Amino acid sequence: MTNTQSSSSQASTALPSDKAAIGASPGKNAGRSKLPKDAGVGRFVYGSLRRIPTWILWILVVLWTTPTIGLLVNSFRDKDTQRSSAFWTVFRGNFEGLTLENYQEVLGNEVQGGFWTGIANSFAIAIPSTIIPIAIAAFAAYAFAWIEFRGREWMFIITVSLLAIPNQVALIPLLQMLNNGAHVTIPGLEKTVTLFPDFNLVGTTNAVWLTHTAFAMPFAIFLLHNYLSSLPKDIFEAARIDGADHFTIFWRLVLPLSVPVLAAFAIFQFLWTYNDYLIAVTMISGNGSALPTTVKMVAQTGEFGDLEHLLTAGAFVQAVVPLIVFFSLQRYFVRGILAGSVKG
Amino acid sequence: MDIFISTIIRISVAVGVSGLLFIAFNYFFSQPTRRWRLFNTITGAFFGLIYFGILDGNRFLGDVGPTLIFWPVLGAVAGGAICGTLSDTEKPTVRIPLAVGTLVAFGVLQGAAWRSDFLPSLDWGAALVWTFAAGVILGTAGLAIRRDLIKAGNWAIVGLTVGWMLGAWGGADFGAGGSRWEAYAASIVGLTLIGIRLGFTKIPDDAVRIQLDTGSRKYIFLTPALAFISLGLLIPLVRTIYLSFLARTEGGRTVTDLSWVGLENYGFIFTSNQSLNLSGWSNFFTSRLVWWGGGLLGIAVIIAFVQKFKSPDGRPSLSGGSVSPFVIGWFLIVTAVFATLRGTILNNLWWVFFVTLMATGLGLMISVLADKAKMESSAKSLIFMPMAISFVGAGIIWRFMFIARDTQKPQTGLFNSIWVGFGQLSTTNSWTGIFAIAVLIGIISGLAIFSYLSWRSNANKLALFSLLGSALGGFLLYRLIGPGLGGVITRTITVDGEKVTQSIPNTILFIEEAPFNNLWLMVILIWIQTGFAMVIFSAAIKAVPGEFIEAARVDGATESQIFWRITIPQIATTIGVVVTTLIVLVMKVYDIVKVMTNGNFGTQVLANDMWNRAFQDRNWGLGSALAVILFIAVLPIMFYNIRRMQKIET
Repeated sequence: MTNTQSSSSQASTALPSDKAAIGASPGKNAGRSKLPKDAGVGRFVYGSLRRIPTWILWILVVLWTTPTIGLLVNSFRDKDTQRSSAFWTVFRGNFEGLTLENYQEVLGNEVQGGFWTGIANSFAIAIPSTIIPIAIAAFAAYAFAWIEFRGREWMFIITVSLLAIPNQVALIPLLQMLNNGAHVTIPGLEKTVTLFPDFNLVGTTNAVWLTHTAFAMPFAIFLLHNYLSSLPKDIFEAARIDGADHFTIFWRLVLPLSVPVLAAFAIFQFLWTYNDYLIAVTMISGNGSALPTTVKMVAQTGEFGDLEHLLTAGAFVQAVVPLIVFFSLQRYFVRGILAGSVKG
Repeated sequence: MDIFISTIIRISVAVGVSGLLFIAFNYFFSQPTRRWRLFNTITGAFFGLIYFGILDGNRFLGDVGPTLIFWPVLGAVAGGAICGTLSDTEKPTVRIPLAVGTLVAFGVLQGAAWRSDFLPSLDWGAALVWTFAAGVILGTAGLAIRRDLIKAGNWAIVGLTVGWMLGAWGGADFGAGGSRWEAYAASIVGLTLIGIRLGFTKIPDDAVRIQLDTGSRKYIFLTPALAFISLGLLIPLVRTIYLSFLARTEGGRTVTDLSWVGLENYGFIFTSNQSLNLSGWSNFFTSRLVWWGGGLLGIAVIIAFVQKFKSPDGRPSLSGGSVSPFVIGWFLIVTAVFATLRGTILNNLWWVFFVTLMATGLGLMISVLADKAKMESSAKSLIFMPMAISFVGAGIIWRFMFIARDTQKPQTGLFNSIWVGFGQLSTTNSWTGIFAIAVLIGIISGLAIFSYLSWRSNANKLALFSLLGSALGGFLLYRLIGPGLGGVITRTITVDGEKVTQSIPNTILFIEEAPFNNLWLMVILIWIQTGFAMVIFSAAIKAVPGEFIEAARVDGATESQIFWRITIPQIATTIGVVVTTLIVLVMKVYDIVKVMTNGNFGTQVLANDMWNRAFQDRNWGLGSALAVILFIAVLPIMFYNIRRMQKIET
């Protein structure tokens, strides 16, 4: 299995990384040669010791990928085979019980409205909760970075300090608000005023993306503000002299310049919301036809004994979209994570 | 396919409407300097629309035309007309009567529009008291703050208006003996006051209009975000804190309404055995982990002293040789503490301690190992990959790793397969077992010799590690030959009156056996988060200036000295960032516990407990109290973050 793993990744990235390694090797060897040679231990031992880091690295890589590969292999094996033999027997030539049935059953299954509905719901949650927070946070980040007003500092600090708040502290009141609206009784008059009407949001994907939008704000503003405030001041001054107002500057100048950081946040937020379970299960647990894939899968784990073999295929179908996004746009994703943590 | 199309349509509408609103607001606030009358008309129409929209939405207005269309549009037309007319009238003698007149007309319209079976019967006393109280309070406040009689007068008029609105409308009984005249009166008085206030305003000059144009931008840009933050985070946070003082039970009996119970919820949490169970403390001293940990601490001390004699300046120096047994020893002792003292809160702390430490440590280790290695990027992206998988998916993936099958059948879970495999190695007299013993003996003696040679040549660290490795090998050998290594139990059964000793395979129920099942659940989160730590450390290590490292090499520093003395101090802030981010993330761990055990088998954590209490038992008070505890737990991190940001700002 080790061989399969490393050779396939070698094939895909052989050229660039090999070049990098070759480019780096002279300096490395020059450094290593300064190791004390008079240690009394033979060259051979030092030579093999020197290769230990690489071995440990690849052992860790194998350890890290094994669970996923195990699941992938199992998802192509039928119920009985999954139960009677371990997944790695496939690499020893045990091709018994290989089948696509699990996938057919998962995707064709109409239990709880079917898995396709779940995928559509996941998208219905993830896409608005990616696009809308980006837009709103970009406005706010621009204001915090380039519009002068009183109280800017402390407003920004409050916003960003909310980064660490666990979402759990807001869930109960949010659910109550989306469920019944928000009402306040004026003291002394016994009159109730509706602050937020009951829009019948609970049980829909709208409730979920609205919640995601609110929860994403601090991080999105923080990330975009980091980037926008590092843009050179001159371009803004030049634009102001040319008579551009804030909207024009934002639209014509800032948005095109900040595409990389917007992409970084978009990927981060998409993965987060597509994979989210907590908010979806809180907001729409009652309505089976609006559930995203994650909630459907957890419901399936409850029936572990009988549908166990379908979990494998289900988990993979759920993970396909994030994995594609991750591997194709990994550079932006990494950039987003770095911008969100190292700079701050 | 229908669901995909309808989804796409819904998304486009939501995104499109939000975008158009933003653009429209920006366009609108560019108007004061260009078309003042248009700006005023639209403002008036907007307020008219909202005002009548609220009234109609609450079913206060008569049923004429389609609901939420007819009256709001009429309100918008009227409001637009009023503000449009007022926009150019500057002379006070014309402006005041005009403003009052138009608003009285608006009041008449409102009075006439009122639903006939919902007419207010005013409580004149309350109305007058509220009006004058609010007027006096705001007037005095205005005088105190602005120190100007005219401005204070303006404030007073605003106060009167608000007071009237609250007192007259709030104090009224609707649909019970009210008359149309009272509706007229209540409408007209309030709106007349607004008319007077409008009449006293001056038409702003160009400077003010430009100020309106530029000054509005911050609101346009900030309002959506701040609205989401306050509605979705700040207000719910305050309300959660409030709810945590309420409960359904009062003096032991259940009541329908939530009632104030003070700190009872918190008291329940901290006294309940489920969330804080210290009764097992005495097991701590008999725990094998403690002995191992203590032994390692002893070794660390011995090594430190040996190094003291060997080092030229005669001082005990901190080095890998003494630090690593020290760290591992403490680690084992802390693990023993968490394994003996149980409960939800301590489980959470255990998660935070173990996952943060392991993910940070492994991430740092991998980033160092991978730095400049062959195929660095592919190795890193494979370790990073779990970040793309949902917690739920990760739970399912690892379920199949931990699974324990019937002991008589082949194990399909990797962990149990290895465990049982080792067990069979020592029970069955096969060539594999003998081979394993031979290999182990070879390794033990090889390491022992290597250790001696290294000791002779002053490579203390190598000597120590090989000695420890050798000792570990010896232990494994003892288990292999003696009581059995891995999953096997020996039992004596009586067959035909004869005692037979029999060895049978024994699996570990990774998910069910408390307390160490917690550790196996944590493994899942470590699997996910190590990639995160690694990516950040990797970037930080690459950012360490190459000259530093070159200079150290020229001075003859070893690789490990470079790592401990240069790389680590250079990336210290990054380590801080990773650790705090991880603490916050681990503190609220939820999905993994939900999928794996749902808090059963002694694996409950705060977030899952909170969810079950609040959303399954509908016990809002207790759920909120648990959420507040989570919140308090991250407060130190929050302050740390704020401090760090302030440092960066300056």
